[in-house]
Amino acid sequence: MKLRYKLFLFFYIVGSLFIVSRAHAAEENKFKLKQGAKGKVCVTCHVTFEEKLKSPFLHTPVKAGDCTGCHNPHTSNHGKMLAADAVKVCYRCHKSMVPENARSTHKVVVEGNCVKCHDPHGANNRFNLLKAGNELCFGCHTSMGETITKVKFKHSPVEKGCISCHNPHASGKTDFLLNDSVPSLCLKCHKTNTPSFAKQHMNYPVGKALCTSCHNPHGSDRGGILFNNVHRPVANKMCNQCHEEPTSATPFATKKPGYELCRGCHSSMINDAFSKKRIHWPLMSQRGCLSCHNPHASAENKLIKGGMIKVCGKCHGDTIARQERSETKHPPIIEGNCTACHVAHSSDNAFLLNQTSVIEICGSCHDWQKHSTHPIGDKVIDPRNKNLTVQCLTCHRSHGTENKYFIYTPVITELCTQCHAKYKR
Amino acid sequence: MTKVLIKIFVVISALALPLSSFGAEAGKLRYAATIYFDSKGVGLRLPEGVACGEGPSFVVADTGNGRLLRYSFQDGVPKGGDELKIDQISYPLRLQLSSKGEIFALDGKQRRIVRLNPEGAFMGYIDPVGMPPAAASFVPRSFKLDSTDNIYILDIFSERVLVLDPTGKYVRQVDFPEKYGFFSDLAVDSKGTIFLVDSVDAVVYAAPKDAKGFSLLSQKLDEYVNFPSSITVDGRGTIYLADQNGSGVVVLGTDGSFLGRSLVFGWKDGLLRYPSQLCTNEKGEFFVADRQNNRVQIFTVIK
Repeated sequence: MKLRYKLFLFFYIVGSLFIVSRAHAAEENKFKLKQGAKGKVCVTCHVTFEEKLKSPFLHTPVKAGDCTGCHNPHTSNHGKMLAADAVKVCYRCHKSMVPENARSTHKVVVEGNCVKCHDPHGANNRFNLLKAGNELCFGCHTSMGETITKVKFKHSPVEKGCISCHNPHASGKTDFLLNDSVPSLCLKCHKTNTPSFAKQHMNYPVGKALCTSCHNPHGSDRGGILFNNVHRPVANKMCNQCHEEPTSATPFATKKPGYELCRGCHSSMINDAFSKKRIHWPLMSQRGCLSCHNPHASAENKLIKGGMIKVCGKCHGDTIARQERSETKHPPIIEGNCTACHVAHSSDNAFLLNQTSVIEICGSCHDWQKHSTHPIGDKVIDPRNKNLTVQCLTCHRSHGTENKYFIYTPVITELCTQCHAKYKR
Repeated sequence: MTKVLIKIFVVISALALPLSSFGAEAGKLRYAATIYFDSKGVGLRLPEGVACGEGPSFVVADTGNGRLLRYSFQDGVPKGGDELKIDQISYPLRLQLSSKGEIFALDGKQRRIVRLNPEGAFMGYIDPVGMPPAAASFVPRSFKLDSTDNIYILDIFSERVLVLDPTGKYVRQVDFPEKYGFFSDLAVDSKGTIFLVDSVDAVVYAAPKDAKGFSLLSQKLDEYVNFPSSITVDGRGTIYLADQNGSGVVVLGTDGSFLGRSLVFGWKDGLLRYPSQLCTNEKGEFFVADRQNNRVQIFTVIK
């Protein structure tokens, strides 16, 4: 009885599986596809693809002969007959590349430009990368590549590869695509409990501090890979000039708040700034000078936190964006030379301009402007506003407009007839 | 049949009324007048401040000329323009009028608040008395008075709003929120709620009366405003922001919701170039220091 029951059960299961698999086979080939229709047949026409298939690293669907994994064999609304938008087609399988609520993302990944780094079919490098190692990254990050090659003191993880510290797709934890936040990332290699480490850092507990406040993780021309421009007290290892003693309960606390601390050494500069009518207000804030400057070291002159486009643009993003939208570019802005026209700390003029006369400021580069045939200057009243005189900004907006030559209207005659109304049609 | 039609008409009208009353037209401004000159015909230069009250008198900070000017506005016509030249004020940025007619001015060069009597004579500086010693340093970026003349100072150095009584005695402080861009101005409504405008992040924070801290009132407004640098609140709680770089006025509801945007960039009357301080009163008069146009413009709020 038992044996009969077991036999019945065995045949029942085998039979069921056979029926189900037949049904699936029928379902799978309901279109009566030829053998290899999902890929191998494609190569009969796309003969040059045979060479690609010899690549040491192949994309899984390619290896499986499944061209239809990404391409539609019949019609498509997308380039290369892709089955979906190029931005989305990779994400159909590789969803986990960007974690939810990522702190930082690689622009090419977000834009779906996976092919900027990967060959979707096959390549000579792991992960189907177009180039191996840092060479791939330096294809876009050219200046970083040049800097890293040139620097005197190199950081060994950089030599090994950018991915020692960075995730090429996204970081769920921190900025700059870092695999972990600073200092945790640094402490994976650097031990802070050694006597030499403590001595180098004047016994301050920097294991909890931001290493990149002083050190350039990509290498530098200064020993200890300090940023090239170092604040003198740091270079002289006189941390306690600004901070409390390392034995204090709050060793990183500064001795005075805001600009009051910096005034101790930079008194003439600060006094001069304070003597002007208009102050750049962030200078007077809690962060004071540190609104724009790094207190320890920086890659930029005068310890500025970064290029002026970045530093000034942090607050004046709308102005920088206006220039980006502008059809005609203004060279000082593109070059990040905001101080060509403005004074960073204070001025007696509106917009913290470095001269009272706008005509004089523009004239320092545009010499021809002084000889313009259009009347400008203090004696020429703007017909639109009886309390204004005609100057460069009467027709041009210095940070740009959507129109050529930074003029205010799309058609030049529209601008001219604002004043010369009798010629308006 | 007629009765039914009337009922339908009444219902539809009642439903449509709130839309037209409080919708797109909320806080719209109608041009009324412009001030270009003082009483002697001298032109205003880069005026940044304007203070109004419930009376006809209003005061202008003629910043570029380092002086204050007093005008009146009655029956749609501005008059006056007498100069108040005060030694202690060389670069007035923000102004306020007290209920007694006293004039308060923030001087940009000294970064101190000056108090003048109604005739324009110097009375003293607003130096808070009885401040907690640990946080005595302060830098006023802006200030406002409430209806009972309490003084609210936007202290960017110690990241707080200082509340002083009318004599300048320290009452309390409300700390800035933990993360913010940069606060350029504050306002106080009739209920005592303090508003802060964050120019960099383009948001408005609020702290109800006696609250210990600020919380976000508006959503991020960068879709509607470039660089909000001045804020004022009218008697109904409607919030107005001066969009300095976008040259316009943005109107928010009491809950911080975006209601609309008024005025655009330009030189002619009724247009703005880099507006600075705003002031409004119960009569629905709306004053704008139109800085780069060297003038002050007066509008009326369409209610």
